[in-house]
Formats: sequence, C-alpha cells, structure tokens
Amino acid sequence: MTSEAPPVTGLALQVKDLRVSYGPKRAVDGVSLDINEGEIFGLLGPNGAGKTSTLSAIEGLLKPTSGSILIRQVDVRAHPGKAKALIGVQLQSTSFQSELKISEIVKLYAGLYGVPLTKPAIFDSLTEIHLSDEASRRFSQLSGGQQKRLALLIATVHDPPLVLLDEPTSGLDPQARRQLWDRIEGIRKSGRSILLTTHSMEEAQSVCDRVAIMDAGKILTVDTPAGLIEKHKKDPNVLAVARGQVTLEDVFIGLTGRELHD
Amino acid sequence: MTDDVVPLQGRSVAAPTWSSSLKVLLRADTTTQLRTSLSLVLTFALPLILLVATGLGKNSAVLGGPAFRISLALTVGLVSIGTVGYSLAIARDRDTGVFQRLRVTPAPTWTIMVSRWIVQLGAVLVMAIVVLVVAAVFVGITLRPHNYLFTVLVALLGSAVFLSIGQAIVGLIASADTLNAAGRLLYVPLIGLSLFGDSDRLGTTVELVSRWSPGGCLETLLSAAMGATAWSGQSWGALFASFGYTVVFAVIGIRWFRWGAR
Repeated sequence: MTSEAPPVTGLALQVKDLRVSYGPKRAVDGVSLDINEGEIFGLLGPNGAGKTSTLSAIEGLLKPTSGSILIRQVDVRAHPGKAKALIGVQLQSTSFQSELKISEIVKLYAGLYGVPLTKPAIFDSLTEIHLSDEASRRFSQLSGGQQKRLALLIATVHDPPLVLLDEPTSGLDPQARRQLWDRIEGIRKSGRSILLTTHSMEEAQSVCDRVAIMDAGKILTVDTPAGLIEKHKKDPNVLAVARGQVTLEDVFIGLTGRELHD
Repeated sequence: MTDDVVPLQGRSVAAPTWSSSLKVLLRADTTTQLRTSLSLVLTFALPLILLVATGLGKNSAVLGGPAFRISLALTVGLVSIGTVGYSLAIARDRDTGVFQRLRVTPAPTWTIMVSRWIVQLGAVLVMAIVVLVVAAVFVGITLRPHNYLFTVLVALLGSAVFLSIGQAIVGLIASADTLNAAGRLLYVPLIGLSLFGDSDRLGTTVELVSRWSPGGCLETLLSAAMGATAWSGQSWGALFASFGYTVVFAVIGIRWFRWGAR
C-alpha cells in the first residue's frame, strides 16, 4: 500500500468471509458484503444476529477470526490507522468525555482526524445541527435527539467516504427520527456511503438502497427493500407470518423466525 | 441540513500523525483533569491538609519530623492520584464507552493511554511542588536546593509505582462500582504500610512488610531524597523494588486491560 490516496473502485467497502468469535461463540459466521460508493446499505437482524459485531470488526474494535475487510481498497487489519481515517463512526451507545463542553468535543474529534477547526467553524457546524445554543453544555445535558445529532456530526466531521451508523435512530421520537433520516440522506448526497444497522423496517425502507437480513452471524439475503419483498413473498415461512400484503417485516420475521432472540 | 457538505471528490483523507493525536488528546485530558473536582481535592487538598494537620497539637512530634510530614503528604497525594483517582477515571470512561469512541478514530491506541499517564504525571509534579512550597512558606519546613530536586524526582518515580498499581486494578476489575470499593479498601493499607516502615511498634514482621511495600519503599526514598537519612543499601533496595513494582503492576494492568465494558 502506498501513501497515495487509494484508487476509486466504485466500492466503498468490501467484506469477505468475515468471522468473529467470542470464545467458543461465533458471532459473525462468514459474512461477505460489498457497499457501493454513494449507497446506503442497511443491516437488519434480531438481537444477537451479529450486526454490531460486524460493524465492530469493520471499525477495528474487534479482531476478526478470519476474513478480509477493505475500505476503499485499504486493508483494515494491515493499515488500521489509514482505514480508520476513511470511516466515520456512530456507535450504538455513544458517550464522550463528561467534563468537556460540546464545542470542545467537536474540536477534539476533528483534531483526532487531523481536521483543525477554528471556533467559528465549530460554531457553524453546531448551528447546522441546531446545537449552537448548547455549545457550552456537557454531552450528558443534551436530549437523546441532540446527542444523536452531535454523534452524527462527529462521525462526519472529517468528510469520510464511508459512514458506519449503529442503530442511529433508536430511542428517538418520530420528529427526531425523520430529521436524522434527512441528515443521513444529506450525507449520501455529498457522495459518501453509509452502512447502518437498524431494527426499524420503516427506516430500512425509507432510507436504505439495499438491505441485508442477518441472523445467527450469517447474511440470509441481500437486495433492495422492494426486491426483498418480491424475492421472498412466496416463501411459506413469510406467508405464514404475513397479515395481508407481504411487508418487509413479514420477510424479516419469516426468515429469522418468530421466537425471541435475547 | 447537510447538503452544503463539501463533496468528497478530489479530497484525500489521511491518517494524522501520532504526535498530533497525542497533542489533541493531551489538551482534552488536561481540561478534563482540571474540571474534575474530585481529582482536584485528591491532588491538592488532602496532601496539604495532612501536611498542616500533622504539625498541629502538642504531641505532633511523635508523628515524625519535618521530612516525615512532607513524605506522608506526598505519599497520600500519590496514592490518591495514581491508585484511586486514575483507576476510577479510567473505569468510568470504559463503562460509558468513551474509550471505544476514541478507538474508532485513527489515533493510535497507545496514545489514548499515554495521554492519560502524562496528565497524571503532570498532576503529581504540580502536587509535589505545591506541597514543598506550602511546607517551606507556611509550615517553615525547608530543604537544601538539591534535595528539592531529588524529592520531586522520587515523587515522579512514586507516581509511576502507584499509577501502575492503578492500572493493574483497572485491568483486573471490570466495573467502576467494584473498582471504587476496591480502591477505597486498598487506600488504607497502601498508606498505612508506608507509615510503619521505620517502626517496630506493630512487630518486626509488619515492619519488614511495611518497609518493602510500595509505600514503604517510597518513604525510604523520600527520606533519603530530602536528606533526612543517608543514601544506603536500603535506599538502593527501595529504588530497585520501586522499579520492580512499576514493571510488574504495569504488565498486569496492560495484559488484562479491556477497552470496553463488555
């Protein structure tokens, strides 16, 4: 790998045969997926399906047992620093240093990505997400929606080509959720790719270009939301759970089962 | 809205250097340290209170001479900063996910911890200077110039010992609550043992254990550094033992440390 910017291949992310284990338990079992540039890709799955573990391996938080992860042709395991510079991350439960003000948190994370931000630039970025009045407050003093907006701002503060969002709208009210969807759409419009996990079928249908359904560490199926419905609408398991016209949720439950996945 | 985000075309995203990451982290960690009231109390208030309080009353002389008073204040400060304050701050940030958020940035992982250590060493340095200044100006205990230098150097060595103990504790104990309790339990023997290194009032076994405990070694070194006792074979032993404690506890702390709460 050279120090030059990686060549644009049309693929923002390539994951091949990824396996992640926690001791004897295999959390991710042979996951392969490609995400195109400018695409919003959703990972759907019940609790414990391996969504967050897949994301954690891509983010470099977990060491995979085997498999390869390329972000714009940069190998995550061989060049972790370079790969991390290419991604923006919003973790499932985000927390920042409790003693820092919001403006200081933005400055810290921009600095960690090598983006020097002036005070006016920080103020502008906070204004953009309607948090300029909160610049001197602490993260814990923000509402859930404000915290998610700040987390998304920080995930994109360095204009990364790939943004990873782990359940970005969980716990938000419908207004905040719609606002965040608009922001995610805006990120895509600026040319970036997004990989997000969600439990919301509505979110997957509204935001994602393609969706993968995961269960027990494996990807069961991948397509556009409409394509998934079309592909599985005659599946007996899906028909067994459908109440009228087959929906994405019917496909999801039909493929992953009715039982709880705690 | 994010529509005005700069498009990616032609923009190279490169990992920042480790030195720039460390600089940014140091700024944030210093700010955090200065804003944490508990750390300020542990760093300055407790040692100064002890320094002054041990000189009060008719029988204050039985507690020890001027050098003992300074070394007791410094030891309490070092144990408070290194073993209690540091380990609690690390455990709290681990529990809330602050470290995981930092680890998904391109900053090398070691810079996250080294930044914390540097800030703690800085706190120790300031604490030692403040204690010595207060001792000289307000309590009337003065040392010769080179003894001041040796005392500060020994305080820094002592901080390495107690920081490594703190690192070992936070490596071995997963939750912040348990660690809080364990830290309080350890606080008493660590300081108590340092008090009885030169006394056989509790028997020779306790004296021996006390003399070679981390606190006892520090007392021996501080006493020699301040010129209260001559540098001897026991001083060399205490020096090597302190290095040994630092290495052993640091290895334990690093080997078993987990960045995330899970």
